[in-house]
Amino acid sequence: MLGELLNPYHLQIASFIMINIILGISIYITLSSGQLSLGNAGFMGIGAYTSALLTIHFELPIFIGVILGALVAGIFGILIGIPALRLSGVYLAIATLGFGEVIRVIFVNWESVTQGAVGLSGVPHLGRELFKTVTAMGFEPEMLGLRNNQVVYLMVLTLLVVINILLIWFFIRQNKSRVGRAFAAIKMDEKAAESMGINITYYKVLSFTQGALLAGFAGALYAHVMAYISPADFAYHRAIEILIFSVFGGSEVIWGAIFGATFMTILPEALRVISEYRYMIYGVILILMMAFRPQGIIDVSLLKWIKNMIKSRRRTDHGTGTKKHN
Amino acid sequence: MLLEQLINGLTLGSIYAIVALGFTLVFGVLGIINMAHGEIFMIGAFIGVLVTSVLGLPLWIAFIAAIAVTALLGYMLERIALRPLRGKQGVSHLAPLISTIGVSILLENLSHHIFGAGNHPFRNSFAEIQIQIGSITIYIVQILIFVISIALMLILSYWLSKTKAGKALRATAENLETASLLGVNTKRTITTTVIIASALGGIAGILVGMAFNSVNPQMGLSMGLKGLAIIILGGMGNVKGAMAGGLLLGVAETMIVAYGDSGYRDAVAFITIIFVLLLRPQGLFGKNTSEAGR
Repeated sequence: MLGELLNPYHLQIASFIMINIILGISIYITLSSGQLSLGNAGFMGIGAYTSALLTIHFELPIFIGVILGALVAGIFGILIGIPALRLSGVYLAIATLGFGEVIRVIFVNWESVTQGAVGLSGVPHLGRELFKTVTAMGFEPEMLGLRNNQVVYLMVLTLLVVINILLIWFFIRQNKSRVGRAFAAIKMDEKAAESMGINITYYKVLSFTQGALLAGFAGALYAHVMAYISPADFAYHRAIEILIFSVFGGSEVIWGAIFGATFMTILPEALRVISEYRYMIYGVILILMMAFRPQGIIDVSLLKWIKNMIKSRRRTDHGTGTKKHN
Repeated sequence: MLLEQLINGLTLGSIYAIVALGFTLVFGVLGIINMAHGEIFMIGAFIGVLVTSVLGLPLWIAFIAAIAVTALLGYMLERIALRPLRGKQGVSHLAPLISTIGVSILLENLSHHIFGAGNHPFRNSFAEIQIQIGSITIYIVQILIFVISIALMLILSYWLSKTKAGKALRATAENLETASLLGVNTKRTITTTVIIASALGGIAGILVGMAFNSVNPQMGLSMGLKGLAIIILGGMGNVKGAMAGGLLLGVAETMIVAYGDSGYRDAVAFITIIFVLLLRPQGLFGKNTSEAGR
């Protein structure tokens, strides 16, 4: 029964959705303090390569590799974030886009370590490593009536879902906290926020670093889910894709990034039937979207409407009460 | 050797300058980054391939065709992707950026679909003609590209500074509302700007086809990214800065390839702008205003 329902392909897509949600949140976090960073693909690449190289060459456990990958990306985030504070708006966007491009060129040219444009293969696969651990503990896939590869992908997905729930919970909490209110104040008016005693340097670097850390984390997970990475995975197109997750879904609320990442991952798969044209359709959707609903699919008023509809007993305002869109 | 590399650099740089001019005009007037500019440039190059290699017509017809097609694309870009967003309530400054990214994805995949992924040769009758001055070899094509670029820049500078339409454009760039109050038809000015910028992109496309003899659907992206770097280098919305920045970048890239590590060629532009942004955010030629870098 369960064995027939679980298609490894669908499980794989679902895993990508989870990773893309982390990426969507990573750009949402920097946007929530009013900074547009297009460098998240670069940070993602740093996380992916760090974790992949550490696990391949030093045989570190994947968990440690992923955490170190995220941390290294976060450190780069601080290093880039502090000077980038002088920039805002379009300038910051282009500078961070440039940072991503520089990172990609380094990956391509630093062949002794990254194997250049060919990419790194043989990255330890998260699912298979988990499977080894579980079978060593005496678990057999037949106990659930599943095939091995179903269990492999299912475990990856479950792990990613748990990670996502924790992350979303954390950032919803953060949005309601002092930090989230500081971000929102800086987004509304930087000078006013500063005059209210908010340390804008600290909070802007914090939000930039959080974005970098998350992107690096997602990149590291991506490396171990794909088991193969190449510089092309972290190029301009990825940067744009990550931006679209948040802008399409709605950049004002965290649910926007989550929805955008989910929808934009499923869309190309759903359009696979007309795969010849799917990226053209993708482009048209973006244009129409901006013309008719530029704030993104999900915004504060839609969330309120949904909340009224389901009359939720939980008091969930997702920390968006402080933000009103203009 | 050095002189030859300098000539190569100036040829490449003059094309970069033309591409960057398209970016800087649109940014100056509308305050937005036209992410589709690189793809419009690429379409211009393909029109060149179609006219010269497929139809076997002379080069000047290719120029006219490319200008016509890219100008039309520019008009459509303005009408479909930019105008609906203008003056609308609740539109973030990101919206036009995303909208033009949509256009760029559409155009890139459209030409991928029509022309295929590979390189297309761009033939012209005088590609191999060269002049020998002492030990230096110069191709006629290089001279032609350089002359066309400089002529375009001069015409554009004249048009901007002396004609009524050029003045209207500069007034609109200065302040859209004030220009509108003073009787400038800002809607028409904006449309004209986008059309001229796109046509410049189309011409640059043909020039690149002439210079490198190959055209592919991905070339718009790298050219677009470099154009962005150049307008930062020269100062956003600054016409002279775009010209100088383009020439500088062309020479710098050629020198890196000739005397350094050719693999890092594409990073030169961005490493430079990261430093420029940190040391002089208004760009090399930009005016020092409080708005710069904001």
